This record gives sequence, structure tokens and C-alpha cells, in this order.
Amino acid sequence: MPDNADILRLENLQVSFPMQSGVFDSILGRPKGVVRAVDGINLNVNRGEIVALVGESGSGKTTVGRVITKLVQPTGGRLLFDGEDMTTTHGFSTLRPYRHRVQMIFQDAYQALNPRHTVFDAVAEPLRSLRLVENRAQLTERVSEALSTAGLNPPQEFFARFPHELSGGQRQRVVVAGALVVKPDFIVADEPVSMLDVSIRAQILQALIDLRDKYRLALLFITHDLPLAWLIADRIAVMYLGRVVEIGSADDITLYPRHPYTVALRNSTPQVRRDAGSGGIQALQGEVPSAARVPKGCRFHPRCPLAFDRCRQEEPSAIEVGPQHLSACWLAK
Amino acid sequence: MSEGTVQSLSRIRARAIKGFLRQLLGHGGAQLGLVCLVFFVAVAAMPNILVGPLQTAITATGDFLAPPSGQHLLGTDDVGRDVLNLVAHGARISLTIALLATVISLIVGTIVGITAGYFGGWVDVWLMRLTDFFFVVPSFVLALVITPVVLEVMGRGGEILGFRPSLFVIIVVIGLTSWAFIARVIRSQTLSLKERTFVDRARIAGSSDTSIMVRHILPNLVPQIAANGALVVANAIYIETSLSFLGLGDPLQPSWGTLLSLAQRAGAASVGAWWYLGAPGICVLMVSLAFVLIGNALDDTFNPRRRVIP
Repeated sequence: MPDNADILRLENLQVSFPMQSGVFDSILGRPKGVVRAVDGINLNVNRGEIVALVGESGSGKTTVGRVITKLVQPTGGRLLFDGEDMTTTHGFSTLRPYRHRVQMIFQDAYQALNPRHTVFDAVAEPLRSLRLVENRAQLTERVSEALSTAGLNPPQEFFARFPHELSGGQRQRVVVAGALVVKPDFIVADEPVSMLDVSIRAQILQALIDLRDKYRLALLFITHDLPLAWLIADRIAVMYLGRVVEIGSADDITLYPRHPYTVALRNSTPQVRRDAGSGGIQALQGEVPSAARVPKGCRFHPRCPLAFDRCRQEEPSAIEVGPQHLSACWLAK
Repeated sequence: MSEGTVQSLSRIRARAIKGFLRQLLGHGGAQLGLVCLVFFVAVAAMPNILVGPLQTAITATGDFLAPPSGQHLLGTDDVGRDVLNLVAHGARISLTIALLATVISLIVGTIVGITAGYFGGWVDVWLMRLTDFFFVVPSFVLALVITPVVLEVMGRGGEILGFRPSLFVIIVVIGLTSWAFIARVIRSQTLSLKERTFVDRARIAGSSDTSIMVRHILPNLVPQIAANGALVVANAIYIETSLSFLGLGDPLQPSWGTLLSLAQRAGAASVGAWWYLGAPGICVLMVSLAFVLIGNALDDTFNPRRRVIP
């Protein structure tokens, strides 16, 4: 169960990508635009805690995951892991100790496995690259252990298989095993079940929860599915256009949301109970605006049915609306 | 890994290779190309057994420019040498030059292509400008410039890796002028492969750039390398023939191109000695065609839309 020593902390983290400018723009000397994929988010994850990051496509949730796994360098803010500043660390050899502790589970297991590597090689890769084993026997033992923890039994049966010889669920388990094999402290799971059948979903989710309970593993669970987040997570952070707009315990966020966007997200999914106050908001209209042109004022105001003058002028900052429950809305007070 | 697993792994590999070969051999063009190639490789492998040692003006056995007969199946040349004998020995020289030049161009092209595609940025820009340079350098001019230099350094009688200097120059020149095409193909494929999720996963697994290029990207490039390699061989044979025809070959180790050049100088066309020009000419045509057919068949077989194993 979670305790209060945080293992991961993001402080005002920003990621922006320069936009490709056209020939005309460069001739006319127009400044290059930037896409603010992540626009200053604060988030912490405690040991043994599962935090879900929820948002529509384009909200920047995947970029957050890629920053934490050091696939993308942040352009501002800080990334602290276990008290250590990892913001600017780069290079595969300096990152080795970090890779040993932080792993990732990918959405599309078929894409995440090299079609020309066997299951054994795929799972053994981190052990070999990070030089965590001394001999072949140890390697085989660790790989077998990871495969059976991920629910592939007996593991020996799967060693020589290629990804195209496995079912979708089995492939996802191989990806899970590849993340577990180094015994990490923290896993970023980017939509790990969105490509799977409902029956297999439950098994994978149960496997993740078991791991958390067994190894005190912390998880950042990235998803677009609010009910799923409520099911697996201890806390939920709702992201919109590069910012966290509301964060709180899983129950608070799903049952007593205080931000109109969270309410809209909840109402867009038929599974959630509708007895809590929904503020009369129905399903969301339109799409997330481009991160290259973030609206002035509150970034949600063009789609918000409750928007008033102040929302168009000033951006609200996160305010405490309950214990451990923050919402960035002028109406949240 | 246990004994059983190793066995099943090799069994799976064997099955995949078998399936691949079956599909490749189901291709009409590939069958024709392979038959043709096997024939010429056999000739090139043992010319001494098939037609005896290479004839010279001194050991020549026939009349001057005698038409094909029972004794000289492909006639004789202007000094009385048997054309069949010359063509069979020429096969060895032509094929060796073409294959070695292809190996050089595949190695250089693949290394440059993967490095440029994977690292991108200024590495890509500079490597691609270098590639452009070799793309447009005419092989004839390069050969004409390099040959005298190498001959000066090595002397006409010297040998480099078993090749007389002028042949070695031809190998290097063909290798240097044909890798640019491979590098472009490999680069474009690498650009798409490096965006695949399994490369991200390898990076999170702690793999170095070199290891990602060698263990993840290179195996996925094998189809492109194989298919284009066959096309490069065909092109190399063609360039070798042209260079030798212009007199850059070595008369003591005559290739098909050298023979064509000798035939032309002997006035074979004007005196109607069709066998002297035709024999090496048809050989060049058939071997080039064989490699093109095999290359196209490999391309078809590796095509992701048609292949059995994704």
C-alpha cells in the first residue's frame, strides 16, 4: 500500500517541440512556432502507488511518459526520481542505473517487439544491456521468472517463439515480462490494455495490481479511460492540453469531480454512475485545440459550457478543494 | 536455455527458411535466373577441367578466326585461340570482380545508410552529401584516374589479394561507385525503422546506439540488402564489361569485357566473326539478366504484403 515517500516528482515540467517552418515563413522572418506538448505539470507518485494519468488524445499524457522514461528531453522544469535530479541526464551509459529502476509497458505490443527477436531475446535484452547477470544460467533463470510472473507458463515453452506466433494477450505479457525482468521500482504503463480483449484486460490489470502489492512497485498508468483509471488507480490526474487540470483520489475524481472537464469526461463514458452532481454537462463537444495555439485564459474555456468572462481572460491555478484534491477551475471554490 | 529450447529454436528457423525458399522458387523468374547462375558459377569454378588451361598466342590450337566447328565449338580468335576456352576462363574473372565489388558496395552502403538514417542531423547531411558525390562520379573517369596511380605504386607485375593491380582497381572502382545507391535505400528504410516502438523499447532496456543499429535495425534491413545486392551485381558486371571494353582490363586475366574489346580491335564485326563478339556478349547479357531476375524475385518475396512471416 502507498506510503508518503514519493519516488517520482515532476515539478513544473515542460516539453515543447519546435514546429517545422515553411519556406515563406523563413523568408518573411516569422518566428518559429512551438508545440507545447506538456506545459508545466506538477505530479508526484509515491512508492507502491498507482497513479492514473487520464486525458484525451493530444493532451500530452504520452509525452509525460516518454519524458519519465528519458525518450524525450524536457525543455523546462524538473524531473526528480527518488530525490535525484534526472532532468538533464542523458547518454545510455549514464542512464544505466536509472533504466534499471524505471521501465515502460507499451500500448501496442506487436510494435514493441522486434519481429526478428525471439521471446527469450526480447525479455533478456535489458538484462544483457544493463549487465545485470553474470552467466547464461542466471539469465535463463531471470527470464523464466519474469515470464511466469507475467502469466506465461511454463516459460520454457515461449523462449523460442517469435512475436507473430503469439496471441495479442501473450504478446502484451511478453512486454510486461520485459519490463519486470530488471525488477524496477517504477513502471510507466502507456495504455497497456487498450488494444486487448476485455477478458484479457482484466488478467493483465490484475497482474499489475499483484505486482504492486508484491514488490511495492509504483505505476504511472496512462489511459484515456476514466472508469479503467478508477478501477486500478489510487489517485487520478486529469490532463488537458498539456496541464493537469484536476488531481485527487480515484473516488473523488470519478464520483465528485470539481473541474468541468473531468465532469465532461465522466459523462462521456456510459459505465460511470450518474448519481453524483454532473452540473448538467453532457458529452464533450469538439476536439482538443492544437497545442501550438493554446487558448488565452483557461485553456478549456472554448469547450466549457460553464465558461464566463474571467475564464477568457485569466488562467486559473490549481486550488485545493478537498484533502489531496486539487482543481484548476474558477468555479471550483 | 535448455537443450530442447535450442532445438526447437533451430527447428523454427529451419521452417521459416524452408517457407521462404519455397515461395522464392515458386517464382518463374527466380527459377530461370538460378538455373542460369548455377551454370555460370559451375563454369567459373572449374574452367581448367572443362576446357583446359587458358590458351595464349603461343599455346593456341586453331586457325585464325575459324568459324565454329566440331573441334572449336565457338570458333577461334584472331591469333587462333579457342573462344570457348577464353569465355570459360573469362567467367571466373567477370564473376569474381562483380561479386567482390558488390560485397564492398554492400558493406560501405549499409554502414553509411544506417549511420545517416539513425543519427540524422548533421551526420545525415554530411554523409548524404558524400553519397551524392559518389552517386554522380562516373566510374570510367574514376577508373582512368586511379589505375595509373595504383600501377605506379604496385608495379604491373604485383598482386593484391591474388588480383593483378588493374583488376583490383576495377573492383575498387566499381565498389566505390555503386554503394551510393545502396546507402540511399538503406537510409530511407532506417528512417522508418528507427521510429518503430521496438527501438524505443530497446532504448529503455538500456541498449547503446550501436547495439540498436546492429541488433534491431540491421536484421530488419536484410530483405532490402539482399534484393538490392542482386541488382548491384548485375550492374557491376555491366560496368566491368564497359571498363574492360575501353581497355582498362588486364589482357593476362581476360574477362568478358576484355574479350569484347579484343574482338572489336581484331575487326571481328567487319569480317563477320560473329562467334568472337557474340559468345562473351551473350554471357554478359545472361548473367546480368539472371541477377536482375533473382533480385526482383527476392524483392517480391520479401514484400510485406505478400510474405508469410510478418
